[in-house]
Order: sequence, then C-alpha cells, then structure tokens
Amino acid sequence: MRNNNIEHILKLSKELRWEIGDDFHDSLAEGIYADAADLVSNSVTKDNSKSKLRLDTKIDKIVTSKTWGFPIMFLILAVVLWLTIIGSNYPSSLLAQVLLNDFHPLLKTFASNIGMPWWLSGFLIDGIYLAVAWVIAVMLPPMAIFFPLFTLLEDFGYLPRVAFNLDSLFKKAGAHGKQALTMSMGFGCNAAGVIATRIIDSPRERLIAIITNNFSLCNGRWPTQIVIATIFIGAAVPSSFSGLASLTAVIGIAILGIFFMFFSSWALSKTVLKGEVSTFNLELPPYRPPRFWQTIYTSIIDRTLIVLWRAVVFAAPAGAVIWLVSNIYIGNESVAAWIINSLDGFGFLLGLNGVILLAYIVAIPANEIVIPTILMLTVLVTGISGGHGAGVMFELNSANATGVILKAGGWTLLTAVNLMLFSLLHNPCSTTIYTIYKETKSLKWTTVATVFPIILGFIVTFLVAQIWRIF
Amino acid sequence: MVTYNPLNALLIFLIIIVLVYLLFRPKKGWFWIVKNNYNTNEKTVVEDILKLLYHSENDGEIVTKSELTSKLNFKTNLIQNSIEKMISNHFIEVENEKIKLTNNGRAYALRIIRVHRLWEKFLAEKTGYDKLEWHERAEQKEHQLNTEEANLLAAQLGEPKFDPHGDPIPSQSGKMAILNGVPLSSLPIYTIGKIVHIEDEPEVAYKQILAENIHIGSHIKVLENNATRVTFYAEGEEFKLSPKVAENLTIDVIEKHHLDENKLVRLTNLKEQETATIIGLSKESRGESRRRLLDLGFVKGAKISIDLINPLKEPTAYLIKETSIALRNNQASNILIKKD
Repeated sequence: MRNNNIEHILKLSKELRWEIGDDFHDSLAEGIYADAADLVSNSVTKDNSKSKLRLDTKIDKIVTSKTWGFPIMFLILAVVLWLTIIGSNYPSSLLAQVLLNDFHPLLKTFASNIGMPWWLSGFLIDGIYLAVAWVIAVMLPPMAIFFPLFTLLEDFGYLPRVAFNLDSLFKKAGAHGKQALTMSMGFGCNAAGVIATRIIDSPRERLIAIITNNFSLCNGRWPTQIVIATIFIGAAVPSSFSGLASLTAVIGIAILGIFFMFFSSWALSKTVLKGEVSTFNLELPPYRPPRFWQTIYTSIIDRTLIVLWRAVVFAAPAGAVIWLVSNIYIGNESVAAWIINSLDGFGFLLGLNGVILLAYIVAIPANEIVIPTILMLTVLVTGISGGHGAGVMFELNSANATGVILKAGGWTLLTAVNLMLFSLLHNPCSTTIYTIYKETKSLKWTTVATVFPIILGFIVTFLVAQIWRIF
Repeated sequence: MVTYNPLNALLIFLIIIVLVYLLFRPKKGWFWIVKNNYNTNEKTVVEDILKLLYHSENDGEIVTKSELTSKLNFKTNLIQNSIEKMISNHFIEVENEKIKLTNNGRAYALRIIRVHRLWEKFLAEKTGYDKLEWHERAEQKEHQLNTEEANLLAAQLGEPKFDPHGDPIPSQSGKMAILNGVPLSSLPIYTIGKIVHIEDEPEVAYKQILAENIHIGSHIKVLENNATRVTFYAEGEEFKLSPKVAENLTIDVIEKHHLDENKLVRLTNLKEQETATIIGLSKESRGESRRRLLDLGFVKGAKISIDLINPLKEPTAYLIKETSIALRNNQASNILIKKD
C-alpha cells in the first residue's frame, strides 16, 4: 500500500516537472545569480579608483595590438628557446663529462675490482646506469632553464594574452587558444605539455591538445635534429652556407611540427572527437610582478624534477633492454642483429633502416638516447672500429666522426631527412604516454595519442622516400 | 625486395588509400552502407512507417500504400511485409489502399517520437555534436532505446517539454504540449513575435538558417514579406530569407509586448566605449557552455563593456564584474544585452 503511494507520488512529480516547462531551471539559476549580485552590491564596498589598473590597460593595449602583438610574442618565444638551447649547452656537457666520461669508467673499474661478473656489470653499468645518466645529462639542464622561464611568464600574466591573440587560428582548427601555451610547453617536454593542458577546461579541446602535443619538438629531440642536420644537411650545401642550412632545416622541422599540430587538431575535431562537449572561455587575469624565487622553486620541484624522475624510471629498463639485445646471442647473431635484419626491408621502404627502427623501439622510454643507441648498433652490425663494445651506448665529440660511422652504416641524405621527419612524427616517449593515461584516464585516447603520430610518421617518410627515389 | 620500384610502391599506397576512402568515407562509405543495411530490420521499417503516418494524419493528409513506398527509402517487399505485420498487430487499418492508424498505432508512434526528440535534446545538452548531425543521429537512436531507457533519459534531462528545435516532447503518459504559431512566411509586415520552432528538414533550408545564425526564442519584427523575400529584424540585426526557407520558422505572434525589441541586441553588436546591461542568454546557448557563462557572471542585470579588441578580430575580451573574459563571437551572439 505504502509502496504504491510512493510510486504514485513519483509519477505525479515527473508529470508536474514536465508541466512546469524547460525555462524553470534557467529562471531559478538566473534568480539565484541575480540575488547574489544584489547582495554583493548592497553589502560590499570597494575602492573604485583602483579597479582595473591603468598600467594593465596600457600593457594590454600594446601586447594585443595589431602592430606589436605578434612581433612581441615571437620575440619572447625565440628568446626563451635561445636561452634554453644556448644556456643548457655548458651544464649539459659538464654533466655528460662527469656522468659518462669520468664516472662510468670509474664504476666499471670498481666493478671489476670487486670481482663482479662481466654480464652483471654490463647489465647494470653499461645498460641501466648509462641510460639513466644519459637522460639526466641531456634532459635536466634545458628543463631547469625552460620551465622556470615559462613559469615566470605565466606568473606575470603574459601567457593568457598569447592565447587571446592566437585563439582565432586555433579556432579554425577546432582547438582552444590556450593550446598555444601547451604547445610551447611541449617544446620543453611533451609530458609537461600534456600536464599543462589542465588549463583548458573544455573536454574536447583538452583532448585535442593532449593528443597533438607530441608534434612539438621536445628538448629530447632537438639535439638529434641538430646533430643530423649538421652532419648531412650542412654538408650538402657549400660550406659557407652549411651553418645556415642546418639551422633552417631544424627550424623547418619544428615549423612542420606546428603545421601537423594544426592539421591533426582539425582532423580530430571533425572526426573522432566531434561528439565531445566543447566550450570556450578565456580569463585575462591582471598582471602582477612574478614571485621570482617561489616560481623558480616550484617550477624546478613540480615540473622539472617530477618529469625527470618519471623519465629516469622509464629509462632504466630501456638501458637494460639495449644492453641485453646486443649481448644475447641466438646462433651466431645477437638478438639486435636479428631484429635489425628483419626490420631492414620495412626500414628501406620508409627511407630509413633497421638500426633506426630498432633504436626507436628500444628508446621509446627516452628520445635522448636515440642517437647513442643508433651509433652503438651501427658499430655492432657493421663491425667497423670505434665504439665501446656491445650494448654500450656512446656519442662522439665531433660531428664529423659521428658522420663517418653513420655513413659506414649506409646512410644517405635521404636517411638523414627521413630520420629528422621520423624523429618529429613518431609515438610519444613512454613518460608522455604514461602521463597521457594519467590525465585522460582513458585507454582509448592513450592509444589514439600513441598510434596516430606513428602512422602519420610512416606515411610521411614512406612518401618522401618514394618520391625522392623517383627523382 | 627484388621487384621494388618506388613507382610501384607509390601505386600500391594510392590503391590502399582509395580503398580506405571508399570503405569509410562519411555516409556513402561501403562499410557504413553495409552496416546500415545490417541494422535495418523489420522493426526499423515498421517504426518509420508509423512515424510517417502519424505526421501525415496530424497534417490532415491520408497516405496510400504506393505513397508509402515512394516516400520511404526501403525495398518495396520489405514495406509490404511490414504492412501485413502491422495489420495483424492492430497498429493500422487499410481501407481501399488508404492506411489509417489505430489507437495502438498512434501510441506506438508517439513513443518513437518521444525517443527521437529526447535524443535530440540529449545531443544538444550533453554532447558536442554539430546541430546538423542531431536529426540523423536521433533517426538511428529512436529504434534502439526501449521505453524504460527513454524514461531514464528523460529523468536525467529534467523531463524536458520541448526538443532543441522547439518540437514538443510527449511525456511518459503521452501528453504533449501544443506548439502555438504560424509560419514566418505567412505574416504581414510589422508583426511582432517570437521564434518558437525551427524545422530541421530539408537539410538545405536548415543549413541556411544555421548559416544566418537565426536563434530559436528570438523576438522578431517582420520588415518585408513578398514573393521573393522575407526580411525581419531580430536582436539588433536584419535577416533576409527566401519565402521557402521562411516557411521553416514558426512564429508565435505577440499582440502586446512590454519589451522594446529595438533595444534588445546581441552582445556582438556592442562597440568599444559603450556599456550595456545583460538581459539574458539565448536559448541557443545550451548545456555545459550555458552553465559556464552563468558561472562567469553573464547573468541578467550584469554590466558589461568591451575590454580588448583582438588583433585577429576574434575573440573579444569583455569586462564583466571587473574581470576580463574573452568570448568567441558565436558565444557573444548568444548573450542578449540592452545598451545603456
């Protein structure tokens, strides 16, 4: 009987809800907001002279003006990137000297002194230690410079203005203006760029920003681009232009990345992501003097060290795998040689080779170790002199010497160009993949973000290789 | 790789691309056609026939069997079978080729219409699909949801009375609000009214209405109505439509009105240095987007002015409650203001 009553009441309430109509909820919400505004205006007094500072308005007029808005933006981005690349050179080489050239042999000597078997010291020191050390040496300095600079700009309040200026370009690609910021952050580190997408509160645009962040050339990939461009592109033109040519090539790749970012943002928003909810709003907060020390502290702790730690965690097993595949033998050939031979055909189709593909497979955890791995594997399979032994990654001090090894491995200008393209267009590193999963909590989008760029990479390098060979 | 030749490789690649395109291109891709055919069963056909009969009877038209086959895009024998089945289930009665709905049939048709309109409402409120896709998606979904699921959906959406186009949604017990209004094309000049319904078929006309940025719920004033053109004023802007397209807008005529419609304009009409008071949000602002605007303070009575013009024209930053918030033009056109 009672139950019956409740059923009846529920049914009645539904009917009544329907009778009231659709405007009810809106009017209620509007009423609440209006009442709140009334209460505020009646009870809060404020000093009107200080509202919206004059200086703010002046800065805003300049940084969003037709004439100055874009030049200022590009100048600041160029300065930040320049400071990062130039400024990290010295600490990076210092770290490399200490960790790789000094400490690594010391460790090896120590290991042999205490009678550690060769395979254990190889596995631990040549494999794991070397990969971790490499990642730290390459990754730490640029991040420690880039993130604080970026965070200072953010803290000052300039970055939202960049999003404001650029939004209409991003709107055409179905994305949010704030993606300009997460993209720039990606130039430092894709994992950090993915975390930075939290500033985009619209679900669809945030997913777009996450999936396309990988098209920003991160600092793990800049050195690869620079080395290869110097060796091959620089050498392809008269020597007086070589510096300019290789620089143009690297910047060209970065700009191509931006193009792919726009293109795939557009494609994603029109296809797989079209059903996701999309909203837009962009608050332009007042400027304020950055809290310098606090910013430095938090950006180093929150961004740099967390990302670095994740990278180290992933690099360690990669180092182990690299050492193992080069030192475990099946028949007369090492596992590495077997894999390289079986990948050579596919690699050739893409204008690459088996060594590069294997290097990209084992170096998924960290793009920083791609070149050292390629060098080690090339020496391993070609049997030329040089290198430090099977499974021991190395790098050479002069670009020329690196070029000699690569050319001995059968590299041509096409290989170099396609390697640069493939370095831009391949799956994100495992740190980034893990971060994407943490941010989206979705296997589906993590898979899309992982597989989509590599398919694009296969297609682009394949097309370049075929067209190159025809002419 | 003995036969390798870059030209062959390119050719094979091209063939694969063409194949993928033919299989998966939107709507006409073979994969979708096969999938649709697979999904088209007797239930779909029966339900589509019932819907067609219901709408025709409401318009006072009587449908014959041959008309059915020409109006619906199914195979003739499939329709024939469905009609026989519907007769045996007492959904329809046939007299000299003329088909009539029974009470059972009407109730069934109403259930399908309820699901269709609820789903359109859902797409509008909770997803990001483009307006142009709502109808097609609801056409699919109406055959998939059962009554129970439809009731759950309705509860989740707050028992809505109208779908986003202004069509009334039948309630659980079959009650339906009445849509008052006449086609825009039939109104004499200087008539004042409110857009209460925008028809989404045929798609060509609907696309034009969307391109003109005409909003449901807008107050309008007819300025010109002749054989070639219907012009009306709404929210600070003038809209011109062909009479054929104007037929698809339903207007509820307002005899006496207290709002001076000349002063009510869209936020996009605000100029630099001007200030205005917000009157409200248009019905076209929906779901998450609408709530976000309300949260940011775009509510009735709030003062608003322009803070910054963008170097690329869009978005514009507005000063509201002493905060600078940038909005895109499509959002700003959904905010109605009265200039001070």
